[in-house]
Amino acid sequence: MSTIVIPPGRCLRTLPRALRPSTAPFSTSTHRSLPAPAKKKTGTFAPPKRGERTLKLKKRDVVRETRPPAPGERKAVRKRIVLSNTNALEPAGLVDLTADMAGAEEVRGRVVGIPGEVVDALRVVEGFKVGQGWAFFRRPAALMRNEVVELAREMEGVEQARGADERAVGSGVRDLGGQTLRKLVYGERGTGKSVLLLQAMATAFLRGWVVISIPEARDLYLGQTEYAPLPNTSPVQYTQNEYTAKLLAQIAKANRPVLSKLKLTHAHNLPIKIKPGLTLDAFAELGVNDPEIAWPVFQALWTELTAPAAEADAEGKAVAVPRPQILLAIDNVAPILRPTQYKTLDADGKLRPIHPQDFVLVKHFLDYFRGARTLPQGGLVLAATSGNETVKSDALSVGIAMAEARVANPENKQLKLGDFWNLYKEMDMRSLEAVMDVEALKLEGLSKAEARAVIEYWAGNGMVRSRVEEGFVGEKWTLAGGGVVGELEKAVVRMRF
Amino acid sequence: MGVELRYGLRRALHSLRAPPTWQQRSCVASSHRTSRPSKAFSTSTSHRQEPFTAAPEINLSAENNIPILKRIRVVPASPSYFSGKPAFTDDLLALQALLRKYQTLPVVETGHAPRIAWRTFESYKSFLGSEPIKASKYQRLVAILHRLNHIHPSLMPQEVKDAMERYKREINPFANVAKPKPVDEWGRAMGLGRRKTSTARAWLVEGEGEVLVNGGSLAQYFGRLHDRESAVWALKATQRLDKYNVFALVRGGGVTGQAEALTLAVAKALLIHEPGLKPALRRAGCITRDPRKVERKKPGHLKARKMPTWVKR
Repeated sequence: MSTIVIPPGRCLRTLPRALRPSTAPFSTSTHRSLPAPAKKKTGTFAPPKRGERTLKLKKRDVVRETRPPAPGERKAVRKRIVLSNTNALEPAGLVDLTADMAGAEEVRGRVVGIPGEVVDALRVVEGFKVGQGWAFFRRPAALMRNEVVELAREMEGVEQARGADERAVGSGVRDLGGQTLRKLVYGERGTGKSVLLLQAMATAFLRGWVVISIPEARDLYLGQTEYAPLPNTSPVQYTQNEYTAKLLAQIAKANRPVLSKLKLTHAHNLPIKIKPGLTLDAFAELGVNDPEIAWPVFQALWTELTAPAAEADAEGKAVAVPRPQILLAIDNVAPILRPTQYKTLDADGKLRPIHPQDFVLVKHFLDYFRGARTLPQGGLVLAATSGNETVKSDALSVGIAMAEARVANPENKQLKLGDFWNLYKEMDMRSLEAVMDVEALKLEGLSKAEARAVIEYWAGNGMVRSRVEEGFVGEKWTLAGGGVVGELEKAVVRMRF
Repeated sequence: MGVELRYGLRRALHSLRAPPTWQQRSCVASSHRTSRPSKAFSTSTSHRQEPFTAAPEINLSAENNIPILKRIRVVPASPSYFSGKPAFTDDLLALQALLRKYQTLPVVETGHAPRIAWRTFESYKSFLGSEPIKASKYQRLVAILHRLNHIHPSLMPQEVKDAMERYKREINPFANVAKPKPVDEWGRAMGLGRRKTSTARAWLVEGEGEVLVNGGSLAQYFGRLHDRESAVWALKATQRLDKYNVFALVRGGGVTGQAEALTLAVAKALLIHEPGLKPALRRAGCITRDPRKVERKKPGHLKARKMPTWVKR
């Protein structure tokens, strides 16, 4: 019998690892000392191990505690317009604007409130803009600055001219010989261009005009509202049906007190049946419900507003139906004075931008703006530029420069384009024609007296911390770049030191 | 040393014959550098030594029959003889004596004496040579000079003037007075200001508080309200915002730098119109140019001071 002698070390190595005797003493008693503190987790901050070439960091899980905002919710918050601050004080002695007051001398340089029903109408036509600071004050009110009072007087003038012409021309004549004012409001950022438009619209509502407003011409330019070619047009014209439907809704709702008293006088060739004797607001709403017919409805409405068929009076004579004056307001006009972002294939098979004046709705407004068409009963076409220059229009800049030159030197009637634009550079002539001979109204900073009036109004709302004194007003006037009203608000109301 | 000791003893003997008053002694001490340099007793280092002749040796033996010498101790004429810093002590004692002599003279009100820039401590030290003196000691000396300077100018003795001359800086910085800039024929005052890398020139005219910066309004040029306030801070701090119109040209740097350069420029222009506003403007921080600039990048650094990450190998 032979025995294999295995050396003890080797013998042990053949045993499984678990059965090998460990060097540490084994004990079943509990530790008498506290356990060693847990090692700090340094894993995420440690440099990579040798041989590894990348640094791996664990990402911390983001725990979402609230529900994500629903689609459109954020935008709604962003676009929300707050017109009152219930914490603000009721300013003492604030009177409401009335139809007669707008052009009166006693309101010049005073802050007047906007009456409730006009506020509702202005809301509908999107006269109030985000970021205008209405939310700081008790209720909407605006300063009747010089330019506003003058504009209101011109609006009165339009009405009187029409009345005089009616008397002169006599009844039964369609062309009422009204006066169409065209104005381009421009000025640096924060000078109150949009608010001037709003005040003009407020005056128009109070005086019983029909207000049609494009609150943001960019919407017609960006290519974000749907468009369709208009059949049987050459060159091809386009309609923006959704937008037109929305516009009709605004017209109907905002001008209901006026339009509900007017009735259809023509028989229109429309794809739907229309009850005779329909009021104009109800007629406009037909286009709201069916965007396909929005453009024909708009055209028909426009005919009704500008050229009503004569009615027979009690003696059987044809009598002109009186129609209200019209205010056309376009804010941020620059985007529709340059090629749009809508694209079409041209004859060479290349994509080219569509010109804004190939859109019938835009062309409709610009025709009145440039004076190619006039309002028979008179009215006002107001366009305002934007201080924000993200969408620039060369044509508009040239138009403004020419208007300024005309103001500076009234004798020089014939201005040369070459003095304002390098003729060897490309220029959108269709757009330029729209603004070449427009009357421009420049808005600048407020005077110190006006600044004081508006700051006192803010103080009346409890929104000014200092006492309103000459030194305070002068200081803020300077810091606001010479009374630029938006900057003034920033310095006085928004800034908290 | 032996020579000096001998000379000192001779003088001591001389003094025994006619015991001097303190003033006389101090006169000797104070004037030995000006009027009678050849007889000067000094223990200071060689660079100030003037030519002198050694005195004959004193015979202390019995033949020289001076009985008093058996009873008294001979001391050196200069009290600083045993001092480690004799030159400084001499100067101090001389000035103290001078002050004692003239302390009854009328003085001008504090702060109304002519401004004099005394030697700096370093300059005085090198003037004395390698003598170790402390700054605090020199301050005592300067304090006496300051007091002497306050003696009414019309009564200032020549002696004091001469003594002070020694401690004046070679170039008097207070004599360098800036040329006053005038308001020009159009009523404009121009000021120049700098901050970081921006330079601003501002012209101030009387007006209603209109501001033009590089041809645009204040609001157009500076978007931040804070920068607008910085630009007109000098006017705002002195309640002059509605008294002047400003037009300014700004170049270089960033927005904040330009605004703060304008602060200085407007303040300087305002000082031309109204020099009395200087203390108010200094309190408002519109006088001192902020000297801070971007620190340069150094080789071996990633930025001015940032070092690359330490790597073990």
